[in-house]
Amino acid sequence: MSAVAAGTASLRAQRWRIRLAGMRSFASRYARRADGMVGLIVLVLFGVLALFPELFVGPLETATTATGNAFDPPSAAHVFGADDLGRDMLNLTVHGARISMTIGLMATVITLVFGVAIGLISGYAGGKLDNALMRISDFFLVLPTFVLALILAPVLIDIVGVDVQILGIRATLMVIIVVIGITSWAATARIIRSQVLSLKERMFVDRARVIGAGPGRIIMGHILPNVVNLIVANAVLTFASAVLTETTLSFIGLGDPFQPSWGQILNSAQESGAPGLGAWWVIAPPAACVVLVVLCFTLVGNALDDLLNPKSQVRR
Amino acid sequence: MSGHFLGRKLGQAAVTIVAIVLLNFVLFRLMPGSPDRILLRNPNATPEAIAAIRERWGLDKPLFPDQLVDYIAATARFDLGDSFKFRGQTVGDVILDRVGPTVLLVGLGELISVIVGLAIGAYAGWKRGGVVDRVGSSVSLVLYSMPYFVIGMPLIVILAAGLGWFPTSGMQDVGAETGFVGGLVDLARHLALPLLTVSLGLIGQYSILMRSAIIETRSEDYITTARAKGLPDGRVLRRHAFPNALLPMVTLIAINFGYVIAGAITAEIVFSWPGLGTLTITALSARDYPVLQGIFLLVAISVVIANLLADLVYGVLDPRVRV
Repeated sequence: MSAVAAGTASLRAQRWRIRLAGMRSFASRYARRADGMVGLIVLVLFGVLALFPELFVGPLETATTATGNAFDPPSAAHVFGADDLGRDMLNLTVHGARISMTIGLMATVITLVFGVAIGLISGYAGGKLDNALMRISDFFLVLPTFVLALILAPVLIDIVGVDVQILGIRATLMVIIVVIGITSWAATARIIRSQVLSLKERMFVDRARVIGAGPGRIIMGHILPNVVNLIVANAVLTFASAVLTETTLSFIGLGDPFQPSWGQILNSAQESGAPGLGAWWVIAPPAACVVLVVLCFTLVGNALDDLLNPKSQVRR
Repeated sequence: MSGHFLGRKLGQAAVTIVAIVLLNFVLFRLMPGSPDRILLRNPNATPEAIAAIRERWGLDKPLFPDQLVDYIAATARFDLGDSFKFRGQTVGDVILDRVGPTVLLVGLGELISVIVGLAIGAYAGWKRGGVVDRVGSSVSLVLYSMPYFVIGMPLIVILAAGLGWFPTSGMQDVGAETGFVGGLVDLARHLALPLLTVSLGLIGQYSILMRSAIIETRSEDYITTARAKGLPDGRVLRRHAFPNALLPMVTLIAINFGYVIAGAITAEIVFSWPGLGTLTITALSARDYPVLQGIFLLVAISVVIANLLADLVYGVLDPRVRV
């Protein structure tokens, strides 16, 4: 009995050693990708800004606590100038990092949970269930997230109401998160499903089935670990498009002025007529941040995709 | 083309359109802004007025099947109801007024970016690692990361507000020249920046996609054969690689169509271009749901049709997919 237990324990230790070695070799392969590393470093910097905005620029300035005058150009006191309400642009942009990145992260999590679950079930179950789920995903693949969100978001915002807070996030933003999540899972589901289709025919799945493992155990214990690579690569690219969608939705007026994301700051800039006034400093900081973050996510995502996705390795 | 393939693709498109109409139906009855609830919130509304409005919208009948059937029948007749915001106008009229400018913007934008984007992408992919590839790919990747309004806003700041070369907004000057040529020049000056915005946004995507399509084609056997025959490099690219790489692009461009419209909406907002985009933002801020739903219906159906056309064209070009 104890001999068996000891055997399992050492087996487990061995498995971890293999995994660690695998991670180390992956890290060294990733480190050789210059584009991926640049992207990663920039994203880590933005992550720090998003986690501790108060540390760098103090609390978020509002119309009443604004420290500048309307459309102050950049100066020593306000490095990035001030917006139409006299709010310091550096302050707004750094706090915007927290809002934009949080929405992006939560929308990505929802997208992945839906996408991975449906991909696993669809691919493993096959037959009618697979067919039905894939027809539903067709619908979401044909219609871009933004087009669906255009009609879903205002309806949900009106139903939930704007004065509610969920987990410290205002309802408007929560709606945006959920809408991005439920409209963009289809691509993830497709990628996972096609990988599961090939995995479930492999010998190790047959072995597990023969010794009596149920579908739940096979999916969670044998198939899921083998698609983790794909999920990671997909997550990074999903994050990029979630940030883009959030920025666009906020820009057209579905954001929340009390928790301004970069898109919301650009919306205020547009509404105050900043572009026509030539007030470039109100536009440049949030716009540059959006582009930089999306670009870096794409760089990291492409690097990961090349290293982790079996299909793109064949192509190269 | 086999009837079976055609039938299946048509069927799929029809199912998607029905799903879109159903979604519209459900949302319209779910939302708190539906007409009778708006009236009910008004304390001065007489019971007769409420009854009349309920009858106008068919809300006095049972949800299923009466309301659903009525809704589908009305939608099929393009009767989308009345606008909340533009009093006395039907949704159809409000939207029809705005379709022209958007079609002009999106159509010309697609045309320019397909030509420029495919040319840059093809050349970059063919001379992989060359100067065009390095510069073109980096610029494309940056453009690809930019929402259209992020491209458009700096253009206004620099070219319109700063240098004054172009107007900052609208489609024509108030009291502009009435002559045909004068009007056309005026329109072109207003169109330039929105068109540049949409084109730049698309060129990035198309050149990235075309580049990888060419790179994939380059390793095919028939390219090696063409080279072995001693054909000049440019001819191999134009006659052998380009047409074959174009094949997947047909689908990608059509699938992309929905994103183009989404992008054009935001570009229009930046330049106050009087199309569907500015209508969308007006309808959004006034919570004019009938108009919003009409726009959604129009955009969604155009996207479905674009996808259908792509499938059919692809079926003609590449017989292997017709299974």
